[in-house]
Amino acid sequence: MSSSPTFNSIAALLETDFRVARAEISPATALSDLGLDSLALMEFVFAVEDAFHLRIPEDRLDPREAGITLQRLCEVIDAEGEAAAARSEPMAATA
Amino acid sequence: MSSGAAHAVLAAASTAHTAAAPVHVSGLGFVTPLGRSIEAFDDALFAGRSAVRAQTLEIPGMDPMAIAAATCHFDASGVRSASRLPLDRGTAMALAAAQDAAADAGLDLDTIDRDRLGIFWGSGLAGASTFDATTRALYGAQRRMRPTTVLTVMPNAAVAELALHFGARGAALAYACACASSAVAIGEAMRAIRGGWIDIAIVGGHDAMLTPGVMASWHAMRVMAPPPADAPASACRPFSADRAGFAIGEGAAALVLESEAHAHARGAGAQPFVLSGYASNCDGTHITNPDPAGQVRAMRAALRDAGLTPSDIGHINAHGTATTAGDAAEAASIGELFGDAAPVSATKAIHGHVLGGGGAIELVAALRALARETLPPIAHLQTPDAAFGNVDFVRGAAREARGLRHVLSNSFAFGGTNAVIVASRR
Repeated sequence: MSSSPTFNSIAALLETDFRVARAEISPATALSDLGLDSLALMEFVFAVEDAFHLRIPEDRLDPREAGITLQRLCEVIDAEGEAAAARSEPMAATA
Repeated sequence: MSSGAAHAVLAAASTAHTAAAPVHVSGLGFVTPLGRSIEAFDDALFAGRSAVRAQTLEIPGMDPMAIAAATCHFDASGVRSASRLPLDRGTAMALAAAQDAAADAGLDLDTIDRDRLGIFWGSGLAGASTFDATTRALYGAQRRMRPTTVLTVMPNAAVAELALHFGARGAALAYACACASSAVAIGEAMRAIRGGWIDIAIVGGHDAMLTPGVMASWHAMRVMAPPPADAPASACRPFSADRAGFAIGEGAAALVLESEAHAHARGAGAQPFVLSGYASNCDGTHITNPDPAGQVRAMRAALRDAGLTPSDIGHINAHGTATTAGDAAEAASIGELFGDAAPVSATKAIHGHVLGGGGAIELVAALRALARETLPPIAHLQTPDAAFGNVDFVRGAAREARGLRHVLSNSFAFGGTNAVIVASRR
C-alpha cells in the first residue's frame, strides 16, 4: 500500500496542499492524527475527490470518525473508482 | 446660541490647524502587475511602462480577447495558510505582500508586544476569485460548495489570515470602502497609532478579481476601457481627451507602520519617509458620480492633519480612473485647491485599477516618487482634456523633482468615500 499510486497521490496532496510532514504520512496514520482540524479534514476529502474525479459517499467515510486511516481512505477511493468505471459514468454524472 | 452662530463656531473649529504626529513607515511589500520588487516596480513606474494586456478569460457572451486588464505573474500556490485551509488568490497576494513588508521592516515577532500589533486591511470584493469559481462549480457539474467557502470569501478573510500569520492580538480590522478601502485602512491605522491604541500595524489592501463573473460585472457598468485593437497596453488613459475607462488590475501592497517612539526603540528605519496626514469623508450625494466639493474637503482635511498647505505639496498621485465623470471631478477638485502648482501623476494607466488594493499600491507609487525625487509620467497621455486646463499633468517622461518633500495620494470610491493620504520625507 505504501507505494500504491493512490497512496502516493494522497500523500503528495497532504504534503503540498496541507503542509503535513512526509514523516507523518503512512498507511497506518489515522486521519485524526494528521494535525488537521475538522474543516481542514473536510477540505482534504474534497481535494481527494477532485483529484480522483469521484464522490465518496458520506456513509463510506466520515473524516471526523476516529480511527479511519489513510489505508482505509485508499481502499474507499479505489473501490469508488472501480464502481464508477463499471458504471462507465463520468465524474460529472456521479456528482 | 442661534443655529447660524453655532455653525460658525463649528466651522471655525473644523478649520483649526491640528497637525498630528507623523507615523513611521518601516517596511514596504507588494505584489503588483508591475512586479514584486521595488526595482521592478520603479523601472515600470518611472518609464510609464504598462502591464495592461489583452486577456483570454472565457466570459459567457463576451469576446474572450475583448478585455484589457493588468496581469500579475504571481504563483498563489506557493503561499501557505497558517490554518492549512485554502486561500483565495487575493488573500495569498495579501499575505505575500505583508510578509515582504515585515521582512523589509526587520520585524522580529519574538521581540514585539503583539497585544499592540494591529492589522488594518482593505479590499473591495474580497474572495471574488473563490466565490466565482465555487459558485460556477455549484451550478455546473460538481453541484456543491467547498466547506471553507465562507471563510475564504468573507471580507475579513485576509485580515484573519494576516492576524494568524503574525500572531497579532491588537485590532484586526477589515475596511470595505470600494476603491478607497486600503487608503482608509492605512489612514485608520495611522489614527490608532497616533491615539496610542497600538504601537505597530501591518496595513494595506488587495483585490484579485480577474474572474469571468467579476469582469463581466465591471463590463456591464460600462466603465472599462475597450482595448485598442493594436495596443491594449494603452487602453487606460487617465485625464486624456480620448479617455475611455479603466482596465482592471490585481495585486496587493502592504506597509508596516509604527509610532516614531516604537520605531526608534527597536532600531527600525528602513524607509526615508513618514505618513503625515490622512482624512476620509463622504460625498453623500451619489453612489457613483463623484462630487468635487467632497474631494476638496477631503484633501483640505488631509493637509490640515499634516500641518501643511496646498503650496507645500510637490506631487499628487491622482485617483485617475480614466472614466469620463471621475477624471472631470478630480481635475476640478485638484484645480480648485492646487491650481497648476502640484504636478499630477495617475498610475492606474500602467498597473490597472486594483480596486480595494489601489489606494495602497498608489500610495507606494507616491512614496517611490518621494524616495527618488522623481515624478512618474501619466502613460498614454498625449492630449489632456481641454476642460482640465490649469492642472499640471506629468506627461511624456518622468520629471525630476529635486527637494521634493511632501506628496499626496487620492483614493475616491463608489459609495462616495474619499480618502487622502499625505506622506513626507523624514
